[in-house]
Amino acid sequence: MKKTSALFTLVLLVAASFFGCEKDDICAEGTLTTPSILIEFYDRDNTTVPKAATNFGYFVEGMDTIKITGNATEIRLPLRVDTTSVKWGLILSTPVTGQDPILNTDFLEFDYTTQQLYVSRACGYKTNFFLTQGTDSAPNPLLTDSPDESELWIQEITVDKTNIEDENEAHIRIFF
Amino acid sequence: MKHISGYFSSLALLLFSLGAFAQEQPADTTVAVPKTYRYGIRVGTDLYRLTRSLYDDNYKGLEIVADYRLTRKIYLAGELGNEEKTVDDNQLNFTTNGSYFKVGFDYNAYENWLDMENMLYVGVRYGVSTFSQTLNSYTIYQNTDILDTAASNNYFPDVTVAANQEFTGLSAHWIEVVGGVKAEVFDNVFIGFSVRLKNLISNKKPDNFDNLHIPGFDRTYAGNFGAGFNYTVSYFIPLYKTQAKKAEAAPKE
Repeated sequence: MKKTSALFTLVLLVAASFFGCEKDDICAEGTLTTPSILIEFYDRDNTTVPKAATNFGYFVEGMDTIKITGNATEIRLPLRVDTTSVKWGLILSTPVTGQDPILNTDFLEFDYTTQQLYVSRACGYKTNFFLTQGTDSAPNPLLTDSPDESELWIQEITVDKTNIEDENEAHIRIFF
Repeated sequence: MKHISGYFSSLALLLFSLGAFAQEQPADTTVAVPKTYRYGIRVGTDLYRLTRSLYDDNYKGLEIVADYRLTRKIYLAGELGNEEKTVDDNQLNFTTNGSYFKVGFDYNAYENWLDMENMLYVGVRYGVSTFSQTLNSYTIYQNTDILDTAASNNYFPDVTVAANQEFTGLSAHWIEVVGGVKAEVFDNVFIGFSVRLKNLISNKKPDNFDNLHIPGFDRTYAGNFGAGFNYTVSYFIPLYKTQAKKAEAAPKE
């Protein structure tokens, strides 16, 4: 009888503790959810050496510009989950002593397909992206200059991974 | 949580009433009244699922409970139910619809006075459920918190997909450990409360989704564990009686 009551109490307590944690519905930090394109910057003359861009900015037309304060050797560009193409403007800032920095904007247009994958109750679904294979006549991403500028600051683009499934390694390298 | 604390206070009341029954007996039971044991089948329903169906638009459920007394202390027990539940989480909205059956044994650990038939019991169940999941809609989790503005401000607007996708032919098996009480409140009418700890044995999940709720098992967590309760009213249909031998007549104080 005593043993049974003890077991009964135990079952009751453990069950009660389960009811207490009903609302753990926050997607844990560090969970692999929708990835962004990871781009790394390299020196155009010495192609194995990472190169930092100072006060770099990037934007999608009609939206806010994201500014990185200080030096950055990599950036993460989100892709739209509800379309299959996104055109990012990348602003390189060249400091000039005593004056405002010179800004040069190049555009990268990404074409891709999407796949929705279930993650968990709290995180729901994520989207993975697959860059479509570019050709010589229609490269992907497509590099274009802004209309008011004469020169591209991006010298070369290398696509290392076309499957955007995580952010562990660079998907694209930019040389400038 | 408010509901839950309500159930636990009712449970406390139940336990208290069991104690009160015991105290009603005269301390001095010198008259040897042969103790009788009634055997029969007890059928009832879960009041929690019944009432929740009335006030919760996202829930429809019914559970029939039954037990059959095998020996003085051991009962064959089971539950049969049907549930339709819609869960609206931050990222997901889905509906689970299906039926379940549980069967097992209860062991009554309560020493009743004379011919009272209250129960403080532990038990086990084997549960089976077949069901479907309908993924109504989902919001794609984007974690592009790159704007130096308010927290968790994604660069692109949230995208909610009206999937409306049904996954059928799903099933799950599990075992339960039960602890509960049953008290006779009127002639042959019992009210009861039980809590259950559950462990999934098998779980047939849909492709690219999960069984976040299983009828009869309730909410699933990251592992195989689950928990639940019911709150029953049932009616005892007596079938036959036995009498205790003289040696083990009315229990002494």
